[in-house]
Amino acid sequence: MNKIRTVSAAIGLAAAASLILGGCSATTASDTSAKPADSGKVTWWGYTPDTPVAQKYIAEFNKKYPKITVTYKNFENVDYRNTIIPALDSGKGPDVFDLSPSGGTPEQWGPYALDLTSLAKAQLGADWESKIGEGYAKQLRDAKGRLVSMPMGGMSAGFLWANNNILKQAGAEVPTDYTSWVATCKKVAAIGKSCLAMGAGGADTFPTEMYHSIANSVDPSFFLKAATGKAKWSDPQGVKVLSIIKNMAKDGIISSDVLDAGQYPLANEKFMKGNAAFVQMGFWYTQYSGAESCKSAMEAAGVSNPTCFVQLPVTFPDVAQKGNGSQLFGEVDYGLAINSESSNIGAAKTFVGWLTTSKSGQQDVANALDLLPSLQGTAPDWSNISLVDDAVQRPAIEKLIAESVTTKQTRQYQTTQESLNAIVVATQQVLDPSVNTSIDDIVAQQQASSKASTVK
Amino acid sequence: MTATTSALRGRATPAPTRGSGGRSTSKAARLIPSGIAWILPAFTISVGLIYYCIGYSGYLSFFDWTGGRSPMFPVGIDNYVRAFTDPIFWTALRNTLIYFVVVFAVQVVGGLLFAALMHSRIFVASVYKVIIVIPVVVAPATLAPAHIQVWQTDGTVNQILKTLGLGDVAQAWLGQSTTSLIVVTLVGCFGSVGFGFILYFAGMSQIDPEMIEAARVDGASNLRMLFSIVLPNLRPITISLAILNFITALKLFDNVWLITQGGPAHSSEFLGTLIYAQTAGTSRNVGYASALSVILLIIAISVSIAIQRRGRERAVKLEEPADV
Repeated sequence: MNKIRTVSAAIGLAAAASLILGGCSATTASDTSAKPADSGKVTWWGYTPDTPVAQKYIAEFNKKYPKITVTYKNFENVDYRNTIIPALDSGKGPDVFDLSPSGGTPEQWGPYALDLTSLAKAQLGADWESKIGEGYAKQLRDAKGRLVSMPMGGMSAGFLWANNNILKQAGAEVPTDYTSWVATCKKVAAIGKSCLAMGAGGADTFPTEMYHSIANSVDPSFFLKAATGKAKWSDPQGVKVLSIIKNMAKDGIISSDVLDAGQYPLANEKFMKGNAAFVQMGFWYTQYSGAESCKSAMEAAGVSNPTCFVQLPVTFPDVAQKGNGSQLFGEVDYGLAINSESSNIGAAKTFVGWLTTSKSGQQDVANALDLLPSLQGTAPDWSNISLVDDAVQRPAIEKLIAESVTTKQTRQYQTTQESLNAIVVATQQVLDPSVNTSIDDIVAQQQASSKASTVK
Repeated sequence: MTATTSALRGRATPAPTRGSGGRSTSKAARLIPSGIAWILPAFTISVGLIYYCIGYSGYLSFFDWTGGRSPMFPVGIDNYVRAFTDPIFWTALRNTLIYFVVVFAVQVVGGLLFAALMHSRIFVASVYKVIIVIPVVVAPATLAPAHIQVWQTDGTVNQILKTLGLGDVAQAWLGQSTTSLIVVTLVGCFGSVGFGFILYFAGMSQIDPEMIEAARVDGASNLRMLFSIVLPNLRPITISLAILNFITALKLFDNVWLITQGGPAHSSEFLGTLIYAQTAGTSRNVGYASALSVILLIIAISVSIAIQRRGRERAVKLEEPADV
């Protein structure tokens, strides 16, 4: 009797195991050469844009393609990175997914994606590369030259966002160099507000934006030279950058809670609550200049019944005071990839093609003020955009867009994760009042922990 | 006194004893064949999966791999060499040791203290029990924002210090290399005392009142009874807590990641956060993370065995006078 039971259990086990293993290996047949279709269901996963922005895109898309249902699922950045590969491996991943150039994701996630070169050619013609942002296609190709993601749009960084209401209330000017920044901060502090909202704690790589901006003021070529191994992070320019950061904390530009947490949520919440005069965020922050989107951003930061303030993009002060000014840096923010094992490749191609290459799709991207549209010649339609203070904000945003599309410096594309992490640790060390290590020793450690990028 | 100690050891304790159950061995043996058939599928799948994962981690630790369909490059023992030459790894190990020692000490002392108090007749004891145990049952993710609020630069601790005129002591507790580990450790202590209390409270309930009574008749003081009767009886619990605490310290992740993310500058890094950072960053190092996981496993098993052996040796030493 016992033997029979044991054998039965073993058979049951074998059956269960075969079912599980069968389920694991099951993949849906897909037609990678499928032509764009007018109907179907598409799932899109991404860490950006925010869900309301994505829903606007989808609503506009459905005006032209009502028979294609697009479902968007938004993830927090780290969750997205941890979820996407297992999902794609299981054969049950999304039809469309975000794929960005930083961190080598075209190599990591590219094997799951279709080569979209033919789609780009079909949509924009043989000279399609000249019709999108400079370098965008190159940044989203894998080592084999496959275009694994269609560029959605670009982004820029290396400037500050200012709360114009605070500056007015404090009677302070937008700073242009280190000295004027210190003076502005004193006036801001006098009305009980923080000067620069910055969160450099934790493991996030946001502090590299500050480092990069200051490096551009010290020597505009230094950052990328060091990132690609043509200079050392421990060179005199690197020492100068960290010295300036240390002084910024000492002189009241950077507040003492800077290492309490990361840029998100610390700096974002402080700025959105109207408690700080400046914050360093990239182009994506433009969307919160909108009369309605600013309210949701403030509510998300914990403000009830918010009254929006006027936020303005301002040039990063020339903190080294060598006359180098400041430079923006940017690259393609992300693109849309199509899962090569998707069973809805036709509909996915239609959606991706429309959003990334059509005039109407890219116009929606421009109007969302979240990205610099990938398709050249597309600008926000201001008649459809309502800002908090149109007269003040619009000229500043237009200037930012004009400068952003001409920037020649990449943001993270040519910098390895090791180098970014080393910058974060070095920045934390100079901002940590309990660390007695000299800046010379800190930059030596930084150089030792970094890895030169081979990306040209 | 010796006789008392010897007699106490014969009592059943919360931990299984070698001698117990011998009477029913043959009965148990008869039950195994029919029982095992029922649990075999679940047992095989769960244990198979666990050991498969361990084995697969060991395999991956010899590769340079970013996960998914990216190519795998065999690197021999390079990932292990990298770990042992990485100062962050040693910082993580040092932090683990400090965390274990402090949290274990606080758990034992706090747990014993509260358990002893709750066994005495105190007013509304049930309320105190709930208060002590709540931190054990609340998820770290729920409490982490509160801990951050308490310890951040403009948080509760600094406000209290300023109110007391101790503004000079106020500092960025989370943002300094010298204090971030202290915060993480204190948060660990906060949750651990309740668990120690639960086990010690249950353990104390099983001490034979006659033994306590006998000690009192012999004229033993409270302190003498604590060290000669109560603590020896609770030794299996203490050993279990030591092992559990060490494994917890080795695997520590949630509170650290939620409060400091191992920073600033890796000052509050633990093996758990280090492994996670290697797999969750944009540049994933699955091979290196696997090597760290294997090292963690080896340390966990080795130390658990060492603690158990040490506990047995001490038990044998204590038995010796009774045998003489």
